[in-house]
Amino acid sequence: MAKSKKNPLRWVRLDNAAKIYPAAMRKNWSNIYRQSMTLYEEIDTVVLKSALEVTVKRFPSIAARLRRGAFWFYLQQVEAAPEIQEEKSHPLCYMSEKEMSKYAFRVIAYRNRIAVEFFHSLTDGTGALIFLKNLVAEYLEQKHNISIPFEQGIIDRRVPPKSEELEDSFLKYAGRVPASRRDTNAWRVPGEKEPEGFIHVTCFKADVDSAIALAHKYGCTLTVFFSAVMMQALMNYQKELNPNTAKHKPIKLLIPINLRTLFKSETLRNFAMFTVPEIDARLGEYSFEEICKAVYHKMGYELTQKHMSAVIAKNVNDEKNILLRLVPLPLKNIVMKAVFDRSGERKSCLSMSNLGVVRLPEIMQKYVSRVDFILGVQATAPYNCGFLSYNGKVYINLTRNIRDAGLERHFFEILRDMGLEVTVESNRN
Amino acid sequence: MYCVKCGVKLEDTEKICPLCETEVYHPIVKQEQVPPNYPPDKRPPAKKKTKIINGVVLFLIFIPLLTSLISDLQPDGAINWFGYVAGALTLAYIAFGLPMWFKRPNPAIFVPCFFAATVAYLKYIDFVTDGDWFLSFAFPAAMYFCLIISTLATLLFYLKRGKLYIWGGFVIALGFFFPLIELLLSLTFDLRFIGWSAYPFVVFGLLGGVLIYLAANRFARDAVQRRLFF
Ligand SMILES: [Zn+2]
Repeated sequence: MAKSKKNPLRWVRLDNAAKIYPAAMRKNWSNIYRQSMTLYEEIDTVVLKSALEVTVKRFPSIAARLRRGAFWFYLQQVEAAPEIQEEKSHPLCYMSEKEMSKYAFRVIAYRNRIAVEFFHSLTDGTGALIFLKNLVAEYLEQKHNISIPFEQGIIDRRVPPKSEELEDSFLKYAGRVPASRRDTNAWRVPGEKEPEGFIHVTCFKADVDSAIALAHKYGCTLTVFFSAVMMQALMNYQKELNPNTAKHKPIKLLIPINLRTLFKSETLRNFAMFTVPEIDARLGEYSFEEICKAVYHKMGYELTQKHMSAVIAKNVNDEKNILLRLVPLPLKNIVMKAVFDRSGERKSCLSMSNLGVVRLPEIMQKYVSRVDFILGVQATAPYNCGFLSYNGKVYINLTRNIRDAGLERHFFEILRDMGLEVTVESNRN
Repeated sequence: MYCVKCGVKLEDTEKICPLCETEVYHPIVKQEQVPPNYPPDKRPPAKKKTKIINGVVLFLIFIPLLTSLISDLQPDGAINWFGYVAGALTLAYIAFGLPMWFKRPNPAIFVPCFFAATVAYLKYIDFVTDGDWFLSFAFPAAMYFCLIISTLATLLFYLKRGKLYIWGGFVIALGFFFPLIELLLSLTFDLRFIGWSAYPFVVFGLLGGVLIYLAANRFARDAVQRRLFF
């Protein structure tokens, strides 16, 4: 964090993971995601704006805009809160670089729902949730004259941010030995694209206790369980489209791992890594138990401090290379975009991002009926999936930018055959 | 409310099943009026772009048509060769331009259409050149070709499996084409029937037989795939 006299606004370098996202942007796609809380009452946008003003000051690295330097992009704190926006027919409308140069996030109010859409360079899902929690807490305090205790991620919004919150934990926790990795391309779900960037959101809701009971039956956690269901759905769908399994492409998921607990970091910036479990139908038929095991063991092996610091080291080493750093930004963008297109998301069918159990202070729970986590679709592949649990329910939000809901149908059929009752809703009407 | 088609339990906000696009309907239970999760989708229902492009293509065909008509009329004021040009262009348009108007053109309709146009074109040439080969040669040959191509296209269009069987059958049917041609040629043009058509007939028959054998025998198919993959 630097603070000059001429320009009192804070600015930060992009953290190690954030650097790729501006470079990967294209004409009608950027990496954005949404988190929302739905209240039991209609949103008062005047109060929300005033709550946003307070929240924006407390989170200078999240409430920021994206700017171009000579060598790197950087984030700059915004002076004032953006206007509250109206909801469109679908979430996560395209966010252009021009828009991001003013605000790299949006706050949208619709009926009972407060939604915030973030450009991924600002922070990851965990950081974003803290921002949203505090925005809603501030809103409720102002609206209902209540006092919400500083617990479950709610912090004092009247004190300046701590330096731990602003640190780039990647740099801090990079190991000495970098990991190496080579991957094959994953299957890409085919389909005809919706015009005008329309995104379908299909939300599966289930009882969290029944889901956990089912997961335990297969000896795994909720993340592993739903990831395995998704992989099975992808496999079944690929088989429906092409019965000849000898010609199948591997099924892979990108599962983000929150590194804060692993490294005891308090940062509010990006601090997540991925694990990429894989099944390959060419090797033979997989039972659901085998898929669970494939995910479970892959995560168990990689989710260690040693492995993760080696992976971080590899990424950080690239960033530290002095020659690379001296390349002017436009040139760097071309190179980084090429790297992104060749690796990155081609190596997985979709992300399966679990935000975990969302806990709120008791007094806040009385006002908040549900919480959602919606990922934008990938740059070139049509699907993505974010999920979380709140107040006894799991909310699984699948997004797609193609017409046919084939994957959703298979996902549902697997859960139905296992006996898990789900309720479905969408943004179609 | 549950979807009547796929059986998924739907939230009251849903008017169309998000999974299978079936309209939500129950004869007895009235659906509660619940406001939707998002504002309505205001995009125009269908895209008109392809229609415009197809219109432009159709228009562009008229330009060579018109210029050739003018240049044909130029020397003697009569139509000499314009009919061939017009026929060929129409044929090309029926083959490639016409199906473009449809989102998923059905070959069971378009392939016979194309052959009907071809037959008409051949009849025209036969008429203009005073040939005597239409009824005894061109028509039956074109009809046979139309039949097997239409069958192939229709089967490939509707059936998802058994492609090897379909192709095998097609190749064998193609084999029968040669004796037919030789017979028709000898009838129309008074050529001697020497039986040259037996060779392609046998070759095509064997090839088709191999395809059907591969379709039936998974192990043989695997072995061939293993050796010939690229
Ligand atoms: Zn349905």
